[in-house]
Amino acid sequence: MHLAVLLAAESVKAKNPIVPETKEIIWAVVSFVIVFGLLAWKAWPAIKKAIADREAHIRTDLERAESAKDEAESSLVEYQRQLAEARNEAGKIIEEARLAADQVRKDLIARAEADATELRGRAQDDIRLATERALADLQSRVAELSIELAEKVVERNLDHDTQIALIESYINQVGSR
Amino acid sequence: MSLGVFVFPPIDELFRWKDIAFKGQFYAINKTSLLVMISSVLILAIFVGGSRRMKLVPKGFQNVLEMTYEFVDRGITRDVIGNDATRFTPFLGSLFLFILFLNFWEVIPFIQFPPTSRFAIPLFLALMVYVLYWFLGFKHQGIKYLTGHLFPAGVPLALYILVTPIELVQILLVRPFSLAVRLLANMMAGHILLTALALLTAYTLKNAPIIALGPFALNIGVTAFEILVGFLQAYIFTLLTAVYIADSLHAEH
Amino acid sequence: MHDLVIAAQQAGELKAGLQSIGAGIVYGAAAIGPGIGIGIVVGNAITAMARQPEMAGPVRTTMFLGIAFTEALALFGFVLFFLAKS
Repeated sequence: MHLAVLLAAESVKAKNPIVPETKEIIWAVVSFVIVFGLLAWKAWPAIKKAIADREAHIRTDLERAESAKDEAESSLVEYQRQLAEARNEAGKIIEEARLAADQVRKDLIARAEADATELRGRAQDDIRLATERALADLQSRVAELSIELAEKVVERNLDHDTQIALIESYINQVGSR
Repeated sequence: MSLGVFVFPPIDELFRWKDIAFKGQFYAINKTSLLVMISSVLILAIFVGGSRRMKLVPKGFQNVLEMTYEFVDRGITRDVIGNDATRFTPFLGSLFLFILFLNFWEVIPFIQFPPTSRFAIPLFLALMVYVLYWFLGFKHQGIKYLTGHLFPAGVPLALYILVTPIELVQILLVRPFSLAVRLLANMMAGHILLTALALLTAYTLKNAPIIALGPFALNIGVTAFEILVGFLQAYIFTLLTAVYIADSLHAEH
Repeated sequence: MHDLVIAAQQAGELKAGLQSIGAGIVYGAAAIGPGIGIGIVVGNAITAMARQPEMAGPVRTTMFLGIAFTEALALFGFVLFFLAKS
């Protein structure tokens, strides 16, 4: 009798701590389903999208930077080419200018020389003309004076010595003019 | 002054809790269930609330969400299953977070009880994974999923007598069982260890305060270790789930 | 009659004591093999990581898997501990 009571008590004894309890399973299932459902519906796609968006953004940024770099490089090459061209051009222009200047100098020198020659020629002509005129003057003057002298000689009727002296002084007078 | 006897309570007392609500009903709520619910609310608040406004330049909190996602997606899904298996990340991520949050109750002051040390929770999770990988196995490989396991290629004929039963037990029982019990055992052992150290500290503090420093320091060290264990067990549970799923998707190689 | 009850009580205590001893042996024995096994797994994983640090990630994952599978035996012991005690 007592033995039966004891055995009964034994079997009623608390359950083993690792035996799962239905009430806990129920709430665990409910909780996990809600957590999984809401996370899979709201949270994970949003986070995934944010990461993907950023990756895409960074990728396009990088691509844009790459293309900008390419563009900059090509325009740099272009500028350098243009610069070289311009420098070439400038050199050519300077060379041309120098040639032109040379030409001008040569022309000027030639013209100056021509002018000088012309001047010299004119001066010589002038001199010659002046000389001729002077000679002509002299001749006319001599004639005049001769007449004058003749007149004086005639007037005074001079002796030979006086006559000679007079003529000499006259000639001296004329020569000193 | 009497020294008093150091009494360790029966293990039952550490893990079984009285009903808080709906007493005696089959859906009664006790401390375990309450913690499960609180964790769920926390997870949802952090992850659903936090992911409402995702910015292009992540700041503080968003980094945590993205790191969690990347950890599961890259470290578990892609590494174990493959790059084309991102569709499993939501499930694995939820599984990981659920276990992680439940495990961490073990070291939260004044709560200090991991709901995962009740067999109900690991068992349910493991059975869910069990159903999932059988379903995926038959869906992707048909009957070859079973035969490929039971009669692996390249084994001498005579060895099938040995291999086939072992594989059968392995795939039918050992997998879900070890998955559930690994989590249970680690959390249970941690909880028992922490309780024992805490009781020992209290006991020595009453009788010989100087000696109490020993168990107290040990308690702190073990608490830090249990944080690591809590994380590691959540990771391993998820990792093994991923391995089983990968095994279901692709034939044995 | 009374003697019978005492005998039954004594038998019950004896049974409980033996169960505890058995449970202890069960878990202790079950932990030996996995203990050695996990030691080998982790040791080799560390060797591998030291030789090829760039492969540390995959090696670590594989190490955890190896530990997990080795650990299963200890887990049987853990459950048998509770079964033997009740």
